[in-house]
Amino acid sequence: MPKAFDISNAPYDRLAPGEAEMLRASLDVAYFRPGEVILGKGVPADALHVIIKGTVEERDAAGLVALLGHTDTFDSRALVHDQNGHTFLARDETLCYTIPRKVALDLIRSNPRFAAFFYREISQKLDELANDEEAKRYGSLMYAKVGELFLHPPAFIAVEDTIETAGHLMRQIDSNALFVRDGERVGIITGMSLSKAVVLRRESTQIPVGLLASFDIVSVRRDDFVSSALLLMTKHNKRRLAVKDGEQFVGILEEIDLLGFLAGSAQVTAGRIDRALNQRDLAVAAREIEAQTRALRRQGVKVEVIAEIVSDLNRRLLSRLFEMVAPHELRSGSCLIVMGSEGRGEQTMRTDQDNGLILSAPVDAGTLEAFRGAFSGALRSFGFPPCPGNVMVSNPAWSRPLPEYLADFRRWVALPDETAHMNVAIIYDAQAIAGNAQLLDGAKAELIDLIRGEQAFLAHFARAIDAFETPIGLFNQLITSEGSGDALDLKKGGIFPIVHGVRSLALEQGLREASTDQRISRLCELGVLRAEFGRDLKQAFRFLLMLRLDGQLAASAGTSGTLVRPAHLSSMERHLLRDALQVVKQFREMIRHHFKLTMF
Amino acid sequence: MLPRAIKRLLHRATLSDQSYRFMFDRPPDDDVVVIDCETTGLNVRTDDVVTIAAIKIRGNRILTSEHFEAVVHPDSEMKAEAIKIHRLRQSDVEAAPIVWKVLPSFLRFIGSRPLIGYYIDFDVAMLDKYILPLVGIELPNERIEVSRLYYDRKYGDAPPNTSIDLSFSAILEDLCIPSLNQHDAFDDALMTAMMFVQLRDLALRGERIARERTNAVFNPTGA
Repeated sequence: MPKAFDISNAPYDRLAPGEAEMLRASLDVAYFRPGEVILGKGVPADALHVIIKGTVEERDAAGLVALLGHTDTFDSRALVHDQNGHTFLARDETLCYTIPRKVALDLIRSNPRFAAFFYREISQKLDELANDEEAKRYGSLMYAKVGELFLHPPAFIAVEDTIETAGHLMRQIDSNALFVRDGERVGIITGMSLSKAVVLRRESTQIPVGLLASFDIVSVRRDDFVSSALLLMTKHNKRRLAVKDGEQFVGILEEIDLLGFLAGSAQVTAGRIDRALNQRDLAVAAREIEAQTRALRRQGVKVEVIAEIVSDLNRRLLSRLFEMVAPHELRSGSCLIVMGSEGRGEQTMRTDQDNGLILSAPVDAGTLEAFRGAFSGALRSFGFPPCPGNVMVSNPAWSRPLPEYLADFRRWVALPDETAHMNVAIIYDAQAIAGNAQLLDGAKAELIDLIRGEQAFLAHFARAIDAFETPIGLFNQLITSEGSGDALDLKKGGIFPIVHGVRSLALEQGLREASTDQRISRLCELGVLRAEFGRDLKQAFRFLLMLRLDGQLAASAGTSGTLVRPAHLSSMERHLLRDALQVVKQFREMIRHHFKLTMF
Repeated sequence: MLPRAIKRLLHRATLSDQSYRFMFDRPPDDDVVVIDCETTGLNVRTDDVVTIAAIKIRGNRILTSEHFEAVVHPDSEMKAEAIKIHRLRQSDVEAAPIVWKVLPSFLRFIGSRPLIGYYIDFDVAMLDKYILPLVGIELPNERIEVSRLYYDRKYGDAPPNTSIDLSFSAILEDLCIPSLNQHDAFDDALMTAMMFVQLRDLALRGERIARERTNAVFNPTGA
């Protein structure tokens, strides 16, 4: 009865204590030499194996499907479905716990949660992970740091300054509270105390604020937990706290912002964008979007919902900026579009600028040039890096009249090259966010018309899915080379093939949806994809996006976050990543077959 | 010292309780048994066995589901209790009270299978202390020393002056076996069993363990 058998490892963590004991009591340990077949194709499995050490290859007729390592369980299909299409063989000296078939099946019968792991298809497994995670993360919100919250700037005013001065300063910095300095003492004055003094007590606006300030302020440190800030507010009955970093005052935390953070405050950011009076206000809101993503993820919000919220915020921001920067003639006679992942609404972190402008008619060159510089420049100052492919408004090729776009479309389809394919992909994912949306609709309709029936073009277009291998071979290296720099590129290996394959099918069908998720749904309705496969594909896609988001959040700034180190994932996540990559592999084969790519 | 074969013959003749004759039967093919004792110290004469664990290995399977495990060293309360019930003298209790109950089933569990262990001679000497008075003989089973198998694989062809490390942890690390970290007889026996199956296979395939590892050894436990 090996006590060392780890029951915190999924799915064994779902066993009741009694069940876990029964499981442990039934375990044996088996040794396999390199090259030895552990489970042959078509042979019913007499046990479930959990790897203690070594690497196990999972192969199908076509070759290597996956590599399994420490704590991985195989093979549930062979056990519950009695049908095993894959061969499992030891790559090196391998030790496995073996759970007798009868015991595993008994547990599956008696414990539905345990059973779910083995029976359900990948999409449900993924859903379950999401739910488990939700429970896990909900509590952690309280363990965010005060520094992550939105803080009002620490503006100081002297004790002898007047109510009027204070009022103007509050308005200027868009804050409802100021610090009041009185020699060594520091107090706080709020907009409410100013109004009360003037309106209710009929004080003059010229009296010094020192008379109104409250000097019994309560402070927290930047690196205190959010939970302690909440506790302090409750205990001292305060609506705001002074935030300190050492001896320095660094901001004011308002109750409303704290509650907003706990409740999910995307609407607060949205409101901030809508109310923004100038670019500086927008810059503040832009910074908040990233914090928003972090908070949403912590709350256990599903990745597709996060993407939706973040895309919405980004679009509002661009739209508001467009209103501020674009002169009147541009606003009425043009359409501002976002493209790429931003257009598909699949961006969870701040992205490169992928935007363009479609004009209904030529405009004055000077006006246009000024707008191009101002718009892209403002975005850069908000922290949106320029697009490496230069797909942005500042590039004249992406801000010009509709007829010029249409001429290009015809050239791209007639004389396709790699750039043409990329441009078609970019514009096909575009979404209108400000100005006259019909301009984009017209352009897309024209593009779809041009491509309809052009099978050769579509086949070349779809071929990009083969640009990168599914990183299953690489995966092994990652399992076995602990601590080294190896990692797996989620974008190249998983996300891009799905996005582009789905895009190719959607373009062929002339779909007008822009998001991968919606495109998959439509393709299922049209019968291009089987409904179950569509569901698996969606779930695999969402899971990959979630892993990418976690990577991005961990990397925070700097790296792209699309690299994931399987050694750092939990065994459940690794299991699911493998499943997701399998779906990608299957999808790729389907695309290859659909567009007859094998002829290249 | 008498050669072991002669000792076996002698033992068979001196076996006081003939119901233990099975100890001299031919062992089942493919079967061995790993044993490990936790003791109060390293002195065979003065120290006691605390726990005994044994796990059978059949072919390449470690049959943990049919293992033997027993605590034989009573804590002080149990000692007082034992005196009342069995009216044993203090010295008798200290000698081996529970061992007498445990040993028959232990002997039946291991049968005549070869015994595997890490410094197996020590464990056997500890057990013989109790077995000799019980059945009149010492354990006649063949013994296989895991550190010896490891030595052969790793240092068998080593040039002179090679520094040699036969510690338990060094073997675990070389064979990439996760340390179970439990420090009890069962887990030590299980780790020893894992070492044995792998070392035996390496020997069958004529594989050696590299002495100078150029690349780091992956430790799946992350320890």
